[in-house]
Parts: sequence; structure tokens; C-alpha cells
Amino acid sequence: MSASLAVIEKDLRLLWRHRSGWLSAATFAAITVLTYSFAFDLVTDDVRPLLPGVLWVTFLFAGTIACSRTFTDEVEQGTFDALLLAPVPRTALYVGKVIANLVALLAIEVAVLVMGTILFNTTLVTAELLVIVGVGTVGYVCLTTLLATLGSRVRSREVLLPVLALPLLVPLLIAGVRATGVALDVSAPSAPWLLLLAVFAIWSAVGSALLFPLVVER
Amino acid sequence: MLRNTLLAVYGARWTVLPPLVGISMLAMLIGAVVVAPREVVEGEVQRLFYIHAPSAIAMYLAGGVVFFASLAVLWTRDLRFDALARAAATVGALFTAIVLATGAIWGRPIWGVYWAWDARLTGTLILFLIYSGYLLARSLADETDEQAARYAAVLAIIGALDFPIIHMSVDWWRTLHPQPIVARGALPTPMLLVFFVGLVAISLLAVWLIALRAEAEGLATRVSGLRAAADRREGE
Repeated sequence: MSASLAVIEKDLRLLWRHRSGWLSAATFAAITVLTYSFAFDLVTDDVRPLLPGVLWVTFLFAGTIACSRTFTDEVEQGTFDALLLAPVPRTALYVGKVIANLVALLAIEVAVLVMGTILFNTTLVTAELLVIVGVGTVGYVCLTTLLATLGSRVRSREVLLPVLALPLLVPLLIAGVRATGVALDVSAPSAPWLLLLAVFAIWSAVGSALLFPLVVER
Repeated sequence: MLRNTLLAVYGARWTVLPPLVGISMLAMLIGAVVVAPREVVEGEVQRLFYIHAPSAIAMYLAGGVVFFASLAVLWTRDLRFDALARAAATVGALFTAIVLATGAIWGRPIWGVYWAWDARLTGTLILFLIYSGYLLARSLADETDEQAARYAAVLAIIGALDFPIIHMSVDWWRTLHPQPIVARGALPTPMLLVFFVGLVAISLLAVWLIALRAEAEGLATRVSGLRAAADRREGE
């Protein structure tokens, strides 16, 4: 147990020391929101129908960028092989990476929500929205982190990861956009979207944690 | 006894499958073009149904093969199952493309559009993207790379488990929009017969293609293994 905690602590420390990685993802998120406001002319009277889509596409794109480098440094430095030899459960290696990515992405998303609140004159930092975004983030970070293990092996990973991840994340995107729309009062609650988000988060967390040891085994 | 019979069938697959596929495909074509009556409302374009619907079944069938072969890869670490999974994914992508293409050709005169964001169409398109992603990811590494095979197997399993959720979500998503209405009563007997002939033909074709691909993949794996061994011998 203490070994697992040590791994998680190591990943959080790496997250802090390698600020450039997720700060560039944060910058990318900010620029994506700005690009959307130019492309869709979000300065119209009522931007709110467009906001859920803008927010979630930004989250997913920033997420794949932030997650794509999850294992790169470990593999380049050769520490990943050492970690695999260490008497730590493989699942702990995965959980450490997921927690680090989660912390980074939640920070980015809160920043985007604050930025959206200012730019679009709509209150986006509400408890309901934070719950929706949080649950959705757990769902996509768990899956994308698992898929990013390929990143350590292939040169064209930056392109490959979104190509692999985004089709699988379609339910999450739909549910996230709809739930956000309901929270912003722009669409009717047509289905239990938050429940779908939660189901997706649970299955991607459990499934990925079970499958991760099989992927990294040498 | 059963085992011997199965082995005998398996051993004779290259003599049995090609003529069977040929005959049944011919029967399907004749059935669809000549035997089946002209559909009153939709006209000649309805004949595409005899390829479209069986291809859709073959596309799920191939997905099932990919899923179980991927489980077997993780379970046994035998790369022959990886070859089978890759073969089935290629064939699955092919039939998914056929389903999408024939659907679009049919949709144009009947719905007035090639593509509608109907739940079933969207789900099929995403299935095609998952097949493509799997094949792309697997093609970036060597056939003999066991770790890449396991990664691809995990990807296939996730895709297979995710697919019902995807289907449910696009189903719910579409409830906000008007659904294209397809008037469909029970099929009259001749149409049903032609459909079953098509089902047999396309299923046999899929099995044959998967077997061919798997065989070719297996041979390629053996060749690269032998080549590596020869290189080592030369180096000594």
C-alpha cells in the first residue's frame, strides 16, 4: 500500500516539476476557446446554445494533448522499466498516472470555465456544472491514459491517440454536452445524461485498471 | 468424434469454401436481381437490401470474431489469435464500408439524402472508425511484436465493450430529432427467401475472407520470424 502511495506521490511530483507539459495543454485550451469565439462569432446575443459543445470539444482536445505525453518521459528516461521491475502492483502505476492527469485537467477545465464566464457573460462556475465536468473528466482521463500507453511505443502518437480515443469517447461527448446544456437551461432533459456520464466513468475506470497490467507486461 | 469431424472440415476449408462462396454469391445475385419481386413503394433500389442487411450482420459477426480472438490473445499469448483478430477486423471494416455505401445509395432516392444522422447510421459510422483505429494502431508495429498485439487486443476489447454504450447514447441523442420513417411490414416469402440466401452467401464470404487473411497474416509472421532467425545465424 505504501509503495502504491509512493508511486502516486511520485506522479504528482512529476506533474509539478513538468509544468510545461500541461501548461501547454492549458494554453491550447484557452486558444481553442478563442478560436471558437472567432469562428462562431460567439459575441451574439445568446451564445449559450453553442457553449456546451465549445466547452466539451475544448476539454476533449486538451485532454488528449495532456494525456498523450503520460508515459513518454518515463519511457525515454528508462524509469518505466524500473517501475515494472519494482514490487508495486501494476494497477498502482496506472492509478498514479490517472491521478496526475486528472489533477492537471481539472485545473485546466476550471480555468476554462472561469475564462468562459468572463468572455461569454454566462455563469459557468456552478456546483452542478462542476459535478458534470468532474464526472466526465474521470471518464475520459481513465480511457485516454490507458490508450496513451501506446504513446511510449510509436512515433506518430500525437495523431494516433485522438484517432483512437475520440470514437470511443462519443457517448461521453454526447452525454457531457447534453448534461451541460440542461444545466445551462438551453436544452430539455431528454434522457438521464448525468447517469450516462457516471456509467461511462465507472466502466472506463474499472475496465482500464483491469486491462492496464496486460498492456504493459513485458 | 466431433473433434475429428471439425478437424476434417477445417482441413478441407480451401477446397470447400471457394466453390460454396461462388455458388451462393451467384444465387444471391440472381435472387436479388431476377427472382425477388419489385418492391411496390421503393422500386428497384430496394434490391440493395439483399446485400445491405446481410453485410450488416457480417459486420457484427466479424466484430465478434475480433473480440473473442483478442480475449484469446490476452489469455494465451498466442500470436495466431492476433493474426485472426487482424484478419477479422479488416473484413469487418470492409463490410461496414459496404453497409455504409449501399445504405447511402438507397437513402438518396428513398429518404432524399445520402446521409441522415439516424442513430443506427451514426453507430455504424463510429464502428467503422473503431475498426480503422484498431487496424491503424496495429499496423504501426511489427506482426511479431507481442506487446503491440496485446495493446491492439485491449483496444479491440474496449471498443467491443464500448459499442453498446455508443449505441445507447446515439439512440438517446437522436430522440430530439425526427426519425426517418421507413414503412416496413413483414417481408413477403420470396423476398425473405432471397434475404436468407444472401445471408448465407455473405456469411460464407466473410468466413472465407477472414480465413484467407488469417492464413496470409500467419504466413507473414512465420516469414519474418524465419528471416530474423536467418539474420541471427548469419551474424554468428
